[in-house]
Amino acid sequence: MSTIVKLESITKVYGIGDIIVNALAGIELSVDAGEYCAIMGTSGSGKSTMMNIIGCLDRPTQGRYYLDGIEVDTLPDNDLARIRNQKLGFVFQQFHLLSQLTALENVMLPMIYAGVPPQERRDRAREALIRVGLEQRLENKPTQLSGGQQQRVAIARAIVNRPVLLLADEPTGALDSTTTDEILDIFGELNASGMTVVMVTHEAEVARRTRRVIWFKDGRVLEANMAPQDVGLVAAG
Amino acid sequence: MDWMESTNMAVKTLTSNKLRTGLTMLGMIIGNASVIAMIGIGQGAQRLASEQFESLGPNVLFVTPGSQGARQRTTFLPRNLVWDDAKAIANEVPSVSGVAPQRQSQIAMTYGGKNRTTLVMGTTPSYLTVRDFDVAKGRFINDVDLERNTRVAILGADVATQFFEDKDPIGERIRIRNTSFEVVGVLQAKGSFLGSNQDDVVYVPLTTTATLLTGRTSPFGLDLTFISISAIDEANIPAAEFQITNLLRRRHKITNEDDFTVQSQKDILRIVGTITGGLTALLAAIAAVSLLVGGIGIMNIMLVSVSERTQEIGLRKAIGASEQDILTQFIIEAVMLSAAGGILGTGVGIAGILLVAAFSPLQAVVSPVAITLAVTVSGTIGLVFGVVPARQAARLDPIVALRSA
Repeated sequence: MSTIVKLESITKVYGIGDIIVNALAGIELSVDAGEYCAIMGTSGSGKSTMMNIIGCLDRPTQGRYYLDGIEVDTLPDNDLARIRNQKLGFVFQQFHLLSQLTALENVMLPMIYAGVPPQERRDRAREALIRVGLEQRLENKPTQLSGGQQQRVAIARAIVNRPVLLLADEPTGALDSTTTDEILDIFGELNASGMTVVMVTHEAEVARRTRRVIWFKDGRVLEANMAPQDVGLVAAG
Repeated sequence: MDWMESTNMAVKTLTSNKLRTGLTMLGMIIGNASVIAMIGIGQGAQRLASEQFESLGPNVLFVTPGSQGARQRTTFLPRNLVWDDAKAIANEVPSVSGVAPQRQSQIAMTYGGKNRTTLVMGTTPSYLTVRDFDVAKGRFINDVDLERNTRVAILGADVATQFFEDKDPIGERIRIRNTSFEVVGVLQAKGSFLGSNQDDVVYVPLTTTATLLTGRTSPFGLDLTFISISAIDEANIPAAEFQITNLLRRRHKITNEDDFTVQSQKDILRIVGTITGGLTALLAAIAAVSLLVGGIGIMNIMLVSVSERTQEIGLRKAIGASEQDILTQFIIEAVMLSAAGGILGTGVGIAGILLVAAFSPLQAVVSPVAITLAVTVSGTIGLVFGVVPARQAARLDPIVALRSA
């Protein structure tokens, strides 16, 4: 089984004037293809910084990051944009759909930047929306969709370029419990069909639906292979 | 991402907020409309003035008292042109075919209880041929009138209708400055010349003007307002100009500066061209300022748009847009705003020109050069003023952008 994410001695230092913050202090981590992980930790633990680095939105101060075998920590901005486009899919807490575009057009967006021809774009976008159960809502604008439906559009957008890694940042944070379950079902199905998923969450119930929990504390990995059913215990302790 | 995609995206964004797009374009619309309308109206005025002078015929020369140099010195009183000068030109200059001395003054006149103040022109029979007028009824001034100072008047077409309406004016008597004149002729309508109505004129013999109406003011003879002269043909104009100038210098005993000016139709056209051309340039320059203001308006709105669309920019970057993609998208938006404003403004400007043309004697001049210039300039303004906001957008950090909820 191939390794999708491999982090070696990753540090991230933020300097704000004289104050230096060590957001990440020597992270060693790897995620294999087909895994379904939750990154957890209290606020300020470094999990968001970790997410940004894994998502190629930010670079580590030091260390090596291999994504799907490519060393990405040294790549220039333009190459990182292409990596994000081709290898990664993002799902955000606030959905981040473009309000002037329909569901179908929102899902087509990553393929525009990938240079996919228009007809193929349309077909693949429709396919992705059917996969998340929104075949009835292709031409709706985000304002005409419920929160759960908007998040499904966002998931369709994240998977449409067939990424090697799906990154989700508190994907259910803005949703009620019923909708949360539906969204997590979709993540589960995607993972079952082979998609590698890494999800940042602070909700124990959400983390329990994954298959591996990585616990962050003070910029370090406190626990890299926690079983999901143990989450409640640590959070309580 | 290619240009087509960027353009599609820009269209989607611009059409999704129509009010803002419209208001932003308004600046460019007004700027372009005013540039095109001002150049059009300026050129229309230029053409109108030129055509009026061209209607005089290419063979016409004018001699007026005073000169450019003399007028600059206020103490210098130019020697008047007198009838003898005109006679000398007619007799001694071979390249001249007709000479019409003219002495004119605004004078009050009455007929049957109706009053009006009209230009009274004292002249000689050659006026008809030199200035190309035709008699509609009766006759014009003849040599006998000049010799005998007869009290006859020939009416311009408008004066005739104002005083007599449908009645035949021939043989009627009008009073000009309390002297009774017999109407012996009416001229055919000619229209206006540079805003003055050529049909609102009463013609009397030159000699009669001097003795009965205005009096003599020059010790050198019967003084004139100016002399209209026709050359034999267009080729003889330079010769006529030269010969007239020499003759008058001799007669006026000029040693240094001329106290008269000889101008051909071409000279006048050149002067008119310079004046109206300058006027057009001035109008266009003023209008161009509004074009600049429109460009600044676009930059302003684009800057607001960048900060409002921070999340959109962050998202686009997260899903794979490069800095170049974002830059291109925002620049295209700015260029489209200004170019669309430019095209609409061109329409408004042309409409304005046609409107002015419909309600004034100015002719409609829709200048293709002005249109190309305005649209190109507004597109360029969009590009220039779009770069700053677009760079700001392209440089946004996606992490910060995505978190700015």
